[in-house]
Amino acid sequence: MVKVTVYSTSTCPWCHKAKDFLKEKKIEFEDKNVAEDEEARNKMIEESGQSGVPVISIEGHDAIVGFDVEAITAALGLKE
Amino acid sequence: MYDVIIVGGGIAGLGAAIYCGRFQLKTAVVGEKVGGTIILTDDIANYPGFKQISGMDLFDKVQEHAQDYDIEIIQKKVNNVEKCKDGCFKVKTKDKTLQTKTIIFATGTEWKKLNVPGEKEFENKGVHYCALCDAPVYKDKVLAIVGGSDSAAKESLLLSKYGTQVYIIYRNEKIRAEPINLKRVQENKKIQIINNTNIIEIKGDKFVNSVTLDKEYNGSKELKLDAVFVAIGHTPISDLAKQIGVSIDKKGYIITNDDSATNLNGVYAAGDITNSKFKQAITGVAEGVKAAYNVYEYINNELPVCGCMDDE
Repeated sequence: MVKVTVYSTSTCPWCHKAKDFLKEKKIEFEDKNVAEDEEARNKMIEESGQSGVPVISIEGHDAIVGFDVEAITAALGLKE
Repeated sequence: MYDVIIVGGGIAGLGAAIYCGRFQLKTAVVGEKVGGTIILTDDIANYPGFKQISGMDLFDKVQEHAQDYDIEIIQKKVNNVEKCKDGCFKVKTKDKTLQTKTIIFATGTEWKKLNVPGEKEFENKGVHYCALCDAPVYKDKVLAIVGGSDSAAKESLLLSKYGTQVYIIYRNEKIRAEPINLKRVQENKKIQIINNTNIIEIKGDKFVNSVTLDKEYNGSKELKLDAVFVAIGHTPISDLAKQIGVSIDKKGYIITNDDSATNLNGVYAAGDITNSKFKQAITGVAEGVKAAYNVYEYINNELPVCGCMDDE
């Protein structure tokens, strides 16, 4: 199983949409709240080079900034 | 061949989709961002039937309702729209060309940009447009919001929950917040209003560390801060409609009549993208519903047989 991490904040609507999408596709992921977890926040900034949420980190791929369904679908090799 | 393609996945588009589904039209909603701007609204108290609901919950209910009918939702960016000689249309995404008898544009708006040096370079690196999303990342930082609307005032209050200091930078004398929000801003010790002032440049290294103002504040035009949130209004997303000759007004909004019809046969528009004065979730949905009805009438009574055959 490829490792998937979602960096999010609790108030961010597109973060919720991204997590709902992964759940719907039955993709397991780790959810990191960057508002509370400083280490995760730094990791997100280091990995994506920016500070907007959500960031979807999929092992073996460049970090995806924003809820970009096409990019997530392609990176996970999901059927449309 | 679809009967109707709704371009845009916000609440107006999904509202239209409910009625298109009920009329048993072969319907697709195509949009990059299914959810639209309504989901960025925390608290909605003016949608009939709901005394209080979040934008996200309201949208999810409307989407669920739409999906109760036999409609498709395709989460893809529409890159191109073409008009065929026989009256049909082609809607193109990166990897698909869809054909349709009619189109409802429900493409909405996006955040207006400041258009100053550094804004694009530092987007998401200290320049942000969604305070609700990104403010929590800036705990204990110095923040600014640009704008003087009620939304800007509310966002300054949100930013003050996280930042140590919040500047409201506004080009005019007095911010136009609703009295209750103005009072909250004035009583908040973290918030300072810098009026009659514009940002002329956003600077930083990897991330934003200051802005240049067009006049001095506390003896300097340089203001040190960690992030700038921009809340200066919205701009319509009407490029696709323009491609096929839909009439738009001076500000870029699609001109519609009482039937949500545009100047082109078979092309309708609904929601924030239209030139209607009062833009609310309920009015956007209502425009979508009228568009759906008129699509149904048009297909049954007026549309000649078409198939984009002449263009192949």
